Parts: sequence; structure tokens; C-alpha cells
Amino acid sequence: MKLRVSRKSFFDALSITSRFTSYKAQLPILGNILLETKNNKLNISATNLEMSVCLAIAAKIESEGKITVPAKTIHDVASNLSGESVDLEVDKEQIFLKCGSFSSKLLGIVASDFPPIPASVSKNALEIPSETFLESLPKVLYCVSSDETRPTLTGVLMILFKDLVSWVATDGFRLSKKDMPMKESSRETKIIIPKGVLSELIRIAKEQKIVLDYKKDEKQIVFQVGEAVLSSRVIEGEFPDFEKIIPQTYKLKLDVDRNELSQAIKLASVFARDAANVVKFIISEKTFKLNAESSQSGDQENSLDVKIESKDSQLFDEKGEFVIAFNCKYVEDYLNCVEGENIEIKFNDVNSPGVFLDTSDEKLLHLIMPVRLQS
Amino acid sequence: MHLLEAENYKNGLVLRLLCTSFTIKMEGIDTNNLWGDVCENLKLSVSGAIFSTWFTQTHIVSLKKNDKRHFIEIGCPTLYSKATLETRYFGIVQDTLSSFLKTPVDLIFTVKQQNSNGKNLQPVTPLFENSKDHGEDLNRAISQSKLRMTYTFQNFAVSSSNQMAWAAAEAVSKNPGSAYNPLFIWGGVGIGKTHLMSAVGHSVLEKNRNAKVYFCTGEDFTNDIVEGIRNKTTQDFRNKYRKLNLLLIDDIQFIAGKVSVQEEFFHTFNALVYSGSQIILTSDQPPSEIKRLEERLKSRFEAGLIVDIGPPDFELRCAIVGIKAKQKGLTIPSNLIHMIAGNIDTPRKIEGFLIKLLSELTIKKSELNEMLIENLVGKGDDSSPIRIKASANDVVTAVMKYYSLGKKQLMGESRVKRLAQPRQLLMYILRTQLSLPYEEVGRLIGGRDHTTVMHAVDKITQMASNNVQIREDILGIKKLI
Repeated sequence: MKLRVSRKSFFDALSITSRFTSYKAQLPILGNILLETKNNKLNISATNLEMSVCLAIAAKIESEGKITVPAKTIHDVASNLSGESVDLEVDKEQIFLKCGSFSSKLLGIVASDFPPIPASVSKNALEIPSETFLESLPKVLYCVSSDETRPTLTGVLMILFKDLVSWVATDGFRLSKKDMPMKESSRETKIIIPKGVLSELIRIAKEQKIVLDYKKDEKQIVFQVGEAVLSSRVIEGEFPDFEKIIPQTYKLKLDVDRNELSQAIKLASVFARDAANVVKFIISEKTFKLNAESSQSGDQENSLDVKIESKDSQLFDEKGEFVIAFNCKYVEDYLNCVEGENIEIKFNDVNSPGVFLDTSDEKLLHLIMPVRLQS
Repeated sequence: MHLLEAENYKNGLVLRLLCTSFTIKMEGIDTNNLWGDVCENLKLSVSGAIFSTWFTQTHIVSLKKNDKRHFIEIGCPTLYSKATLETRYFGIVQDTLSSFLKTPVDLIFTVKQQNSNGKNLQPVTPLFENSKDHGEDLNRAISQSKLRMTYTFQNFAVSSSNQMAWAAAEAVSKNPGSAYNPLFIWGGVGIGKTHLMSAVGHSVLEKNRNAKVYFCTGEDFTNDIVEGIRNKTTQDFRNKYRKLNLLLIDDIQFIAGKVSVQEEFFHTFNALVYSGSQIILTSDQPPSEIKRLEERLKSRFEAGLIVDIGPPDFELRCAIVGIKAKQKGLTIPSNLIHMIAGNIDTPRKIEGFLIKLLSELTIKKSELNEMLIENLVGKGDDSSPIRIKASANDVVTAVMKYYSLGKKQLMGESRVKRLAQPRQLLMYILRTQLSLPYEEVGRLIGGRDHTTVMHAVDKITQMASNNVQIREDILGIKKLI
């Protein structure tokens, strides 16, 4: 194998692919990147057996071939090179790299041990406009659980139903659901996609269309964005029945300014930090206060301007207050990902989830489970 | 999410059960063991890193035998491992398997995550388990309110005799404090006053677990005041009663004649009504007839809604037998339900009867049939403390009066239906209500044989379950006694 590529595109491709390798794997080849010539292009691939990537970059190819090289070494080398182009030449298990005055010999492993990974999508794949995708996914992705004992919660549920895609993620304490309109399609599927491939997709996708291909029997999902093809296993199992826990009615509704609430939550979190992040929402017929206290730092109270609509006066206790407590980290995460000016919060009682809505984005629904207060 | 959890636990269990039965069934080979052996063997042939990367999460999905060949499906965790195993390790796996099975082996690899170890059990996290919490909280709230668990609207059967009271209670439970305040329910013993009152409490708590509901009897209330006065803690007493959202007092007639209790109740009553809280009272008489009840209390009771519950009619009793039997886990055929309802007049007696029936069924292992019911009804309810205090002569007089018959006719030999049926009815009442021995009944009714009496009691018991006229006659006679 002998070829010449532009230094910049080579480095960009390595930056992306090196994130898909696994350094910790026992098998050394999984820490390597596969370089392979194909159709007059250089394919750069990597996998950690959870997901994979294959990027094609333009190259001037003199002879065909393939090899794997340790991702960290070649990435660190490429990041410090200067010069226009890089020359690569492979001899058995060695790769010679030349760039301007710099020349190096890297020790690789033969490519035959590298697991086969998809490099293209099939013809009947589904197209998603990347704009809506990039706008939707960050609004659910932070809710994904990292608890491996509940595998189904470590991914995002994608529900494709006719002309609508719903993304749902939950870690069992909060839940986000975002609907995304699509071109009319007759397909109906439900897949749980691991978080990893989706967050990489967000990084890679720019202003392009995203093509999605779900191989049901092989339990694999493949995305194509521009010259990159990403694939991932899908998570088997049943996603919990989230429809059932979405409250259909409400007894109390708050309408607050997002910035004001966001700031108040940040203030409260200073005190909540050493008290398990608990912030109390104290709501009366006309007022809304945030209260946080800790035995170490002290306490704080903050009144916010609010519009309150109450449907049930029995909700309030003898002091005329409705007190519900939340983990302020969750509220903060939510407020960070929405853009609207006003936030609507709906409650039913102190032990059922609070519904958070962005008044400018009716397609986003967020639930947070309150913290139970000892009374 | 309790249900979900249970459901999935069940699924998990079923799944695991399936898996185990699967392994046993698969051509008589335990696939888990087989694959374990194969893996041990493979470990020796490939490097440790390769083995742990490609083989650790694999398993045998299915195994079939076909003319001396085994057909084996191997599950791999991802497509990447499947592809690698297929291209690089197919031969070695095939060889190892066939050396264990001593037959040629056909292999197929599929992507299938191993889920027999129960990892697929549903997540149980706060967001998804809240309905369970609801239940726990509700139970706690109910026990704090001293309400009886089973006294709910779902368990309350409604018919014309108690429909008015039921509708009023429903209305109150929907708008406590504003619909009818106070609600005063009165009626005889054991007809469901307390049940209806408690049902309102349950319904209010179901809607709002933080509502302060308290159920007590007139006697409890009295005791609390006496306690308060003795320990000089009347303030505690006031805090306890005057901050409630719903106060339920059973048998309010017991406070009649107690001056200071009535005064305290009067103030509590005013405080609660003023703050918009609901009060429900029950009594065995309407307020106007409760003796030695202060006028100001009477007038306040009358300001709300006074409803009475009449004795249940036959249809209602049938429904009650059905409900109560279900609560006790009994299934009674409808003809027997009719028989029970026809012979027993108040819900409380039905309860007692069913307990007796249940013990007959479980202890003596008797069979549930008409004979058993007839027997139990025929024994009369000795256990019931409420007895008809009448002599046999009173009963005879009542029957004569009810049917306008002379004593000679009733006790005579003639067996025309006009006379025979009242005679049998008389025997039935003497036997079931006064618990007289069969011989004694026979002696009273013109010196008849005890078998004649037994026949009469059985016959009327039967008729009471399917003949309206007989039921009305029995009730009518009982009223005369």
C-alpha cells in the first residue's frame, strides 16, 4: 500500500475514529485503526465492538493494501505535523509515514484480524434531516442512564411511527421525550439505540442529511453522514412503559421565566450541594419560592415572579402551601437544554412526577420525579 | 410501578423457566454444560485475549438433531463478534463441538444477547414505581384515619333501600364540605351506615392523601374529652379535632345526655363547619328522636342532610352475599346466594352466616350445597346477640293475626295449602328465630312429629330463596312479634 493524503483531512479523520477504539480491550487490535484503500479513497475505520466508524477520505493511491496501526500513536503523530500532505507506505506489519522533513516507522498489526464493520448503508435506508436531528437529540440524551444493570435505560428509545420520530430517554428519575417530524414513511419501528453512537453522531453531523439503516435480524443500526458510516449494536429488551407514567391532567400549573428560574436554581444549588441536591419548591395560591438548606453552609430562600393556576385547593396544606422537592441537578440539566423564554411546570401531588414544558417547543416533554420529603 | 414490576418479574421467571426447560429438552443435551465444555477447550486453542473478546458472551441458542448430524445455533452479542466468529473461528468451533457430540455439526451464528440470567428484568426506579408508593401512602393515611380497609364504595351494594343515602354520600365525597354539611345517616343495626360513612373517608383520601380524615365513635369522642379534662390537655383535643378536613362520628346518639361533651361537640362542630370541613354522623334514630340531645345540636344536624337507610331488600341482600363471599374467597352458586339472602335479613347476620359457612367448609370439609345451607339456616343464629325476645305463644299469635286464622285451624289436622303453609311458616320461625328444638316445635303445633317440623323448615328455607310472597310474609310476621 502506497498513497498520499492531505494532512488536514487525515488528521480530522483520525480524531474522529480514534474515539471509537477501546484502549482497555484485551485484544490489541481493538485499540488500532484500520487503514484500507477502497475505490480510490482511503478508508479509516475503528471499532470497540459496541459501535464502529468508517470514514472515507480522498487520497492519491499508488498501490492498494491495508493495515492497522495503534490509534493513539498515529493520532498523536498526526496532530503535531505541519505541512500540506502525508505520504504513507506499508511494508508487511510496518507503516512508513512521511510529511515534509518528518519521517517515521510505525509498528502495526496485519488487518486480517480486524473485525468486519459496515462501510455503507443499504438502499432502502431512511433519511433524516440533520438539522432537526441535531436539534432534537441533545434534549433527550442527557437523561440516558449510565447504570449497566438496567441495560434498556442505557440507550435512547426511537419510535418511528409514520411521519413522526419520537426520542425517549430516561434514567428512572427523569424522562425526556422529543417528537421530530419526518417525511411521510410507512415504517413503524421501536429501537433502543445506545447513547455512545448517538453522541458521536451529533459531533460528526454538520449541515448534512443523516441516513439511517436498521438491520433488524442482525440487531445493528447503521448511520451514514457525509463520508462517515457509523454503526452500533441495538439494545435488546423492553423499554419501560413510559406512556403510563406521563400524567394526563394537572392540578397545579406554574408559568415562570426560564432565565430567572435557571438563575434561582443555580443559587439554590450552592446550598443544596451538601444536602443531596434537594431544592424545595414552595408554592402557594400566588407565590413561588425556592428553598434550599444545608447543615453546613446555611440556607437560602428566593421568591420568583410566577403565574399560578390551581385546580384543586385541597392540594395546599394548612399554611396554604404546596411543597415539592426536586434534585436541583435534574432541573438544571433540563433548563440548560431548552431555549424558550417561559417554562411551564405542572404538578399533581407531591409524590408524582412534575411535568416540565417549554412553552416555545410543544414537542418536548420532560418529567422529573420529586424527592420524597420526610414529614 | 408495582404492577409492571410484578408482571415483568413474572415474565423474567417464565423466561428463565422456559430456558431451563429448553436446555433439558434440547435433544437430551444440556446446552449450557456443552457450551461450557466447548469454551474450556477453546481457551486452550486460542489466546486469552481472543477468547475473552470473542467467546465470553456467546451461548447456544438452539440445538437440533437430524439424521446423525447436529444443527447448532450460536448466539453472539453483536454483529461485529458474529462476523469475526464466522470468518475466523468457524472451523475451530465446529471441530470442538463435533468432537464433543461425536457427530458432524452444522453451525449457524446469530446476533442474540444472552438474557437468561435475568438481566432483562424491568427497571424499578422511582419514576416507574410511583403507583406502588401511592398504595403505601394511601394505606398509611387510611390506618391513621382509623378507617376500616374494606369499607369502600366499591364494596357497597346499592338498591332502592339505601340509594338515597348512597347518592348523598357520593355527592359529599366529590365536594366535601360543600354538598351537604353535616350529612346525617340513620337507620337500624347492621345495615351499612358505618360502611357508607367510611367509604366517603376512603374516597377523600384516595383523591388527596394529605387530607386529614378521622373516624371515631360517639364513645371515642366522649372518652377523648374526659381524658382531656382529666389531664388538662383539652387544647390537644381541640387541635386533634378542629383541624380536620373530614370528621366521621359513628353512633352520635351516645353523646346524648352528656352535657359537657355536647358542649364541646357543639364548638368542634361549629369550628369545622366554619372552616369548610365536612362532618358525617350516624345514629340509630333521626336527630329529632334522640332523647336528651340539646336543641342547638338537633337544629344544626337538621340543617344538613338527613338520610335514612332502610333494611335491605332481597336483591340487595343477594348482592351483599355476593360481595362478602368474594371478599372471603368463597364462590357460591347463584341459587345458593338466593337461598342465603332469602333467609337472613341483615348484612351483619350475612357476614356471620358466611363465617359459619366458611368454617364448615374448611374445618369439616363439608360440600357446598343446598343441604348444608338448609342445615345452617335451620340451626338458627344462636351466635347472634340480637334475639327476638318473644315467647312461642307470641309467635303463634302473630302468625294467627297475620293470616287471620284461628288457633284451631292452625294447629288442626287439615292440610289444605291455605292452612298448611302458615303452619309451616310458624314452625320455621319457631325453629330459626327462637331456636326451639324440633320436638318442642312439634309439640307446640298440635303434637306433630319432629320430622314434620324438619320438613317444614327445609321447605320454607327453600321457598324463601325463590318466593317473594314468603319473604314478605316472614318480614310481616317478624314485625308483629
